Amino acid sequence: MRLLSSAFVALLAFARLSFAASSSGDSVLVLLDTSLDRENYSIFFGGLEKRGYSLTFRAPKDASPAITDYDVPNFDHVIFFSPEAKSYAQDITPQSLVGLLSEKTNLLIALSPKQTPLTSLATEFSLILPPPETPLISHHPARSERPTTIPVAVSSSSPLLTPGIPPVWFSGAPHALGNNPMLVPILRAPAESFAADSTDDTGADGIVDATEKGGEGLWAGSQMGLVTGFQTNVNSRVVFAGGIDLFSDEYARKELPSGTPSGNSQFARDIATWVFQETLTLRIDSVEHHRVNQTEAPEMYTTNDEIVYTAHISSYDSRTSTWKPYSGIGDLQLEFTMLDPHIRTSLPPVPGSPGTYQVQFRAPDRHGVFKFILNWKRKGYSYLSSSTTVPVVPPRHDGYPRFLSAAWPYYTGAISTSAGFFLFAALWLAGDVKGERKKVSKAE
Amino acid sequence: MAGPKSSSKSSSASSETSAAIATLWKSYLDETPDRLKFIDAFLSFIVLSGVLQFAYCVLVTNYPFNAFLAGFASSVGQFVLTASLRAQVNPENRSEFKDVSPERAFADFALGSIVLHFFVFNFLG
Amino acid sequence: MPAAYPLPTDLSPTTVANTASLLRIIALALISSAAIASRLFAVINFESIIHEFDPWFNYRATRVLASKGFYEFWNWFDPTAWYPLGRVVGGTIYPGLMATSGVIYNILHALNLPVDIRNICVLLAPGFSAFTAWATYMFTKEMKDESAGLLAAAFIGIVPGYISRSVAGSYDNEAIAIFLLMFTFFAWIKALKQGSAFWGTIAAVFYFYMVAAWGGYAFITNMIPLHVLVLMLMGRFTSRLYVAYSSWYAIGTLASMQVPFVGFQPVRTSEHMAALGVFGLLQIVAFGQLVRAHVSSKQFQGLLFAAVVFTGAIGFFGIVGLTYKGWIAPWTGRFYSLWDTGYAKKYIPIIASVSEHQPTAWPSFFMDLHFLIFLFPAGVVMCFRTLRDEHIFVIIYAVVASYFAGVMVRLMLTLTPVVCVSAAVALSSLMDAYLDPTEPEVEDEKKESSTPASVVAKSSTSTTTPATPATGKKSKKSKDKETSAPAGGVLGELVSNVASSAVAANSAAPTQKGIFGLDTRVVVLLNTIGMLLFFVVHCTWVTSNAYSSPSVVLSSTNSDGSQHIIDDFREAYYWLRQNTAEDAVVMSWWDYGYQIAGMADRPTLVDNNTWNNTHIATVGKAMSSPEEIAYPILRKHDVSYVLVIFGGLIGYSGDDINKFLWMVRIAQGVWPDEIQEPNYFNRGEYRVDSEASPAMRDCLMYKMSYYRFAELFGSQQAVDRVRGQQVPAQGPTLDYLDEAFTSENWIVRIYEVKKDDVLGRDLKIANAFDQGKKRKRTKPTSRRKAISA
Repeated sequence: MRLLSSAFVALLAFARLSFAASSSGDSVLVLLDTSLDRENYSIFFGGLEKRGYSLTFRAPKDASPAITDYDVPNFDHVIFFSPEAKSYAQDITPQSLVGLLSEKTNLLIALSPKQTPLTSLATEFSLILPPPETPLISHHPARSERPTTIPVAVSSSSPLLTPGIPPVWFSGAPHALGNNPMLVPILRAPAESFAADSTDDTGADGIVDATEKGGEGLWAGSQMGLVTGFQTNVNSRVVFAGGIDLFSDEYARKELPSGTPSGNSQFARDIATWVFQETLTLRIDSVEHHRVNQTEAPEMYTTNDEIVYTAHISSYDSRTSTWKPYSGIGDLQLEFTMLDPHIRTSLPPVPGSPGTYQVQFRAPDRHGVFKFILNWKRKGYSYLSSSTTVPVVPPRHDGYPRFLSAAWPYYTGAISTSAGFFLFAALWLAGDVKGERKKVSKAE
Repeated sequence: MAGPKSSSKSSSASSETSAAIATLWKSYLDETPDRLKFIDAFLSFIVLSGVLQFAYCVLVTNYPFNAFLAGFASSVGQFVLTASLRAQVNPENRSEFKDVSPERAFADFALGSIVLHFFVFNFLG
Repeated sequence: MPAAYPLPTDLSPTTVANTASLLRIIALALISSAAIASRLFAVINFESIIHEFDPWFNYRATRVLASKGFYEFWNWFDPTAWYPLGRVVGGTIYPGLMATSGVIYNILHALNLPVDIRNICVLLAPGFSAFTAWATYMFTKEMKDESAGLLAAAFIGIVPGYISRSVAGSYDNEAIAIFLLMFTFFAWIKALKQGSAFWGTIAAVFYFYMVAAWGGYAFITNMIPLHVLVLMLMGRFTSRLYVAYSSWYAIGTLASMQVPFVGFQPVRTSEHMAALGVFGLLQIVAFGQLVRAHVSSKQFQGLLFAAVVFTGAIGFFGIVGLTYKGWIAPWTGRFYSLWDTGYAKKYIPIIASVSEHQPTAWPSFFMDLHFLIFLFPAGVVMCFRTLRDEHIFVIIYAVVASYFAGVMVRLMLTLTPVVCVSAAVALSSLMDAYLDPTEPEVEDEKKESSTPASVVAKSSTSTTTPATPATGKKSKKSKDKETSAPAGGVLGELVSNVASSAVAANSAAPTQKGIFGLDTRVVVLLNTIGMLLFFVVHCTWVTSNAYSSPSVVLSSTNSDGSQHIIDDFREAYYWLRQNTAEDAVVMSWWDYGYQIAGMADRPTLVDNNTWNNTHIATVGKAMSSPEEIAYPILRKHDVSYVLVIFGGLIGYSGDDINKFLWMVRIAQGVWPDEIQEPNYFNRGEYRVDSEASPAMRDCLMYKMSYYRFAELFGSQQAVDRVRGQQVPAQGPTLDYLDEAFTSENWIVRIYEVKKDDVLGRDLKIANAFDQGKKRKRTKPTSRRKAISA
């Protein structure tokens, strides 16, 4: 039953693929706080709709449209533009959102310096938020805006951003990153920024003292994140943005202190394409394994067999909405594991055959149930993992080498004994007749 | 089997022992029926074959251990079966083997040998 | 000659002989059917089902053999056992049992009798018990006569000690092994008596079958050489001995090496060295005999002395040297545990943990053998009376088997045949004496002066009737044991002195004491018959009550006396079969490995073939560790489900909590730093209630057993009925496992191992989050603080 329904879902998803930019569907629910105006984010929303997404808007406290029906998500992606909402409708709890993620729904969440239910959700992703009402503050560079409205330079190291994006305007709360390896830092705070509950510059020393005394770390510096992605074990994606203004038309149009246009619109688009599974989306189409010079996968291998392992990997191309073979992974590894990896080898792409990675290796001289394991996890990219179980068995009883040259004396010995036996038996029987006579005569 | 004996004799009173050996040999030649001598000839052939195999195993290689065991066991097995036959047909042992006539003895011997060789060749490869 | 009661005299001897043999055949047929019938209790009370643990594996293997053929079976590698190590089944089993069923199956199908393989397996043991009765008859016939043989056959047919391993459904190696054991011994005795290479070959072939069928073949491997050695020491070396032993050993050893599991062991391990040594010794002695025939005795002695010293030294140093160099494996632990009963517990807990490896309790001797155990010594004494070669065999067998049966419950099985044989000899002598119609005449010249050493009627120890020589109505060959005793037969002289003095004392008794009149006869015979009847009643009772439970299906009696079937095991195994992925690995304690593989058809980590101690210890460690330590172990081994047996609800005492200390001990043997047995006790007491030690309360086994147990009792106090302790109302919680299935009577509980959290969190935290618990506010890592400081 479950299999059927999942097949159905897959079928649905496949049907949608034909016209959506995203690899996982085009229906988006936007939870827009009633205090916010949709028009203020028209560039962002418009960009999404232009790329083929169908947006559904809903206030946080509305009951419908429901996020899930009977545990089946109704939407492929959910955008939380309700950074200050204190309460949500019943179907939205931190637990249900984690449930959504495990059902492969993607989330784009905007936070704010206020304490909301989403704050405690962020904790589950090992994002560490500063105390409430402590927005990010920076006095550099000198500018006319308030110290909480900060131009942040975009690092080009993150693979999911278009290279060369100009700095973006940001206002909101920073967060520290825990040590969860699934976090994907996208935008870091400027080195000279800090989080504080007042914009009053005179109390700077007091802030340091207070945080020290309270046992808090110092909320400052470039180790803090402003926009951070997270990719779950099931490859669904989340982005936490420290402030909602990042996506606003105002910031998109606002010029940087240097007078050049800001990178906000491009940045927001990059985030959205990533979180909605348009970019850096890879999958393993199939894996094959067989003995050298064969094509069919055997039921089991024999120890010391030469094994050929092939993986086909493709990536999603959002422009054509198709999966295309992808040969760009240079550090793919294959493990042949029984409890511990007995063999660990690189799995290089085959030149001239896109999307194919192949390696040939010799099975260890050890029998048991082995697994071919592909496990490729890189920040920003979809995780690739595959595990195929095969038994490796000792040679058959007639699979060992027989009739060795070293053994010929034994063969001769055995055969000569047998021959001797037959000769002896023949002579004995021949002699029997004579012996009989002799015996008779002796007896007389 | 002759090995230990001949070496030990030299250590003990050698003249007496060599005399004993001489008597032994003489009495053997005199008292043993021809048929038994025939068996003894076969026995010595098997011993030779077994010793050669054993020497090869010790000196060169025992790698296909099953082949060595098969070859060597065929020698040993054939030896004891033949020795059994010898004991059974020996007229001196008539009293011991009431139930076993010489013909029956040979049939037993043949059956045992065939079973033995069946296992030998099964084990050889 | 006066007779106690009239006998018909107008019968020709041929008629008597024919009738007697007809009666014997009918008796044997009846014994066989009784033997088979009494083993069918299990099928009638329950159903046609495979019993216990090991038989499930044998059954599964047989199915593979039947469906795929012998060669595939030979090369069968079972990837589902000992996951992920796998098991090379073809090379690690004794295939005799499966091959036997496979042959029967194929024959029946060739005859167009489409019998289910399961029914063949279930009924194989009863079928072979009939053969065992026949083999015992033949064996005992060699000892005394046909009537003793019939008695022995009847005894072995229904004696509980043998039934315990051969009821219908108990499809285990022992089912056919006892038949093979008896038949090999019979062939050996026959070979020895006749000096026939033919019987020696037969013995070797059956020895091969035995090797292929049961690990206990080592018993034969050592019994026969021991017999030969004793005979030689007694100065009873004959050419017949040489012929019999040489042909048996040469062919049998080579044949035994054909079994892959045995392989080169016969020339490599110490257990088999005795046979080899005796073989060598026999050759030397035989050669010595030959030489002696040709030289004078004085010369011979000189030669002999030098040769014996020389070869003895060579042989001894050779074996020591080879053992030292590792060519010959020293004795295995199982073997040591036969000599020192404390050994196993100290060094190999896994062997000691098996209940059938425990020393035998005294009552079980009576339970398994009933009045035979009293007749047994009498029979052995009878063997001393007529000390022929084969009697020495019985005596040695009796001594050795008695010792082993005392050490290990399971070896009671090897004792049972010899008990039946000796008891039959004793009882039949008694009957001979009291049924014999001739009354001794006070001053009669006996026309049949039976040889003094012939079978002597010996009263059983419980009666005080004097002995009389039995009139051999069977014309028994007088024994020809006047063999030339070669030098070195000191012990032999001693024994034969004792024996002959006993005989002399007997024959020197003033004429014949005998039995006059019918009254004494009737009293004694009625007594005997009464004992036999009680024996039958006892056997039937024991069989139907104690030995016919399949242990896969339990039964209890309702208050109104009706039977209540508890079928939790199969319920759970079928749940696994129907509801889990085919490659879902199930972890359980090794006792249930074969059953899970057989009934649920799922891969298991460990099973009853306890070949890898470390792997078992790993499971033991997982069971006795707290969840967070056990979880990585489970994940590493790809475990999807964990199965525990819990008897606390209905009082099933064979559950995992009672076996738990063995898991701890076995784990401790491998990880002494992490698992320590004393931690699981509270002040020396093994408790599961609120006083349980912290290690006990945290361990996976405890948690899985008592998870939600208290809820079952509502507001009442929860009580564990096996331990008789009150379980705290606040039960254990599980973070890394989910309860997946609990059977009707809670005997089997199955837990599913959770997958990694989707957010990569620790499952304990994820669980707390799911339950809506507030998480403590975390702080940025101190790394940053250090920089700012």
